[in-house]
Amino acid sequence: MATGLDRLKHIVVLMMENRSFDHMLGSLKAVNAKIDGLTGTEVNPDTTPAQNPVPVRPLAEFQGQLDPDPDHHFPAVDIQIFGGDKSQNRTANMQGFVKSYFNQRRDVQHSQKIMYYFTRDQLPVLTTLALEFAVFNRWFASIPGPTICNRAFAHYGTSFGRVDLNPLYINEPFKSIYQRLVAAQHTAKVYYYDTTSSTMEVANLLQNQPKLFGTYAQFLQDCKRGQLPEYSFIEPNYSDHDTDSGEEIANDQHPDHHVQAGELFIATIYNAIKQNPDLWESTALLIVYDEHGGIYDHVVPPACTADQFTASANATETGMEFKFDRLGVRVPAVLVSPWIPKGTVVDRVFDHASIPATVTRFFIGDYAPRSPRETNADIFIEPNGAPADPARNLLSLTAMRTDCPDFDA
Amino acid sequence: MTLIHVPKPPRSAVNQQRPVSSLLTTQIEHFYLAEKRLPLRYRTRIYTNAIRTEAEAARYIREVTDAIHRAHDDAARSRDRQTPRRTRVIDIAAVAEDRPLRKASTKRKAKKKSAQKSAKKTSAKKRTSRK
Repeated sequence: MATGLDRLKHIVVLMMENRSFDHMLGSLKAVNAKIDGLTGTEVNPDTTPAQNPVPVRPLAEFQGQLDPDPDHHFPAVDIQIFGGDKSQNRTANMQGFVKSYFNQRRDVQHSQKIMYYFTRDQLPVLTTLALEFAVFNRWFASIPGPTICNRAFAHYGTSFGRVDLNPLYINEPFKSIYQRLVAAQHTAKVYYYDTTSSTMEVANLLQNQPKLFGTYAQFLQDCKRGQLPEYSFIEPNYSDHDTDSGEEIANDQHPDHHVQAGELFIATIYNAIKQNPDLWESTALLIVYDEHGGIYDHVVPPACTADQFTASANATETGMEFKFDRLGVRVPAVLVSPWIPKGTVVDRVFDHASIPATVTRFFIGDYAPRSPRETNADIFIEPNGAPADPARNLLSLTAMRTDCPDFDA
Repeated sequence: MTLIHVPKPPRSAVNQQRPVSSLLTTQIEHFYLAEKRLPLRYRTRIYTNAIRTEAEAARYIREVTDAIHRAHDDAARSRDRQTPRRTRVIDIAAVAEDRPLRKASTKRKAKKKSAQKSAKKTSAKKRTSRK
């Protein structure tokens, strides 16, 4: 029997900034026990000689709390995951978040805020979508490091050996998902918020293929007119700035940007798709965060297939080389479609390499060359045309839901 | 269907004078590298090391983004202008024939002129020596 997968024509990915799963969705364990959120007993030691336990607390604020911006560069994330242990046989324990944040301001009280999380009612958009559609219990950042290299995995399936913010991805061996799709006569677009916020993908794509880009205003128009490409990647607004029509607030949710602005942004994207019935019926929207931003999460990132690149000990700044054989910290990820059963919780392991892996398999099929990381990444939408494995097909309903929520955004 | 209220952030949440984050600093670096690859006429006159606030970062990023699009649009336009000629074989052939001829004739003229000049000089020298 035909399922929602057979109707799927568009995949939209919205990648937000710098929040961990527990920070945003940890409270949902109390609502749905299948969601691997917080029990309230999770702790990290503080930096006093007594190493007092600092518990997670539902005290996160929308703005002004995480100042300075928690460190999420490779050496800091290494401390967060391994608790500061640098020995050969160390074990990941997620016990170094308070220690890492303390290193920035040397303030014991302030360092505890890294353990704070939002309540369900504070984030009505993200938590509603997580409860109504599919939430991923095991979606991790691709690298225990910062934004650019993690976003590179969403575009290329690899960061070409980089664990930092280095922008130079030129003449690299693997094509971006957009280049692959266009070459195969498919349509793809990166929608950045506006030219003032622009893109984090400038080093390669904007310089060489500016026609792949559009603005958020164009995204809204494309939704309205039914002209959305087969694959869309949306970037939020990265800065507070003036435009011809007034002041724009950053909505990427990167600390210290206001979290409610991001909530509103997610809701407007959902609405834009939902308000066009043809599009709503044929689109899957993935909302995911690029990395955890140095904020606490309790799930240990698993080992993964090594990439073909190695970051040197100098590049990692930890005294140890990195073979890209461990994922980064867990991030919120939610898949939205009216063909997904309400309350779906996915336990399979994903990272951002799953994005080009899924989109390539769905629209193109077999494709080479791709990075080892992408080749081995799991896919979150089953391949187009092939008989879907019912256990893996998230768009499994045979009749479209009519009970999906609306937002007054 | 449930209608869910989405609260808006307060106006006070906007702060264009907020110091740039490491992410925005990186974005500026990316755009600086991109700008350096543009022809001179498209480059901004903004000193990126002096950028401190989100508003300043935003202004620079907008100018370079616009410049990248403009540079590509201009290149596409000039490509379009050239394309029709290339498709017409006869024209290309005609042009190909014309150019060397013109060059040759110019060269010949130049040779002729310099020959005339040197002839004049020689005859003038002869006249002087005679004097």
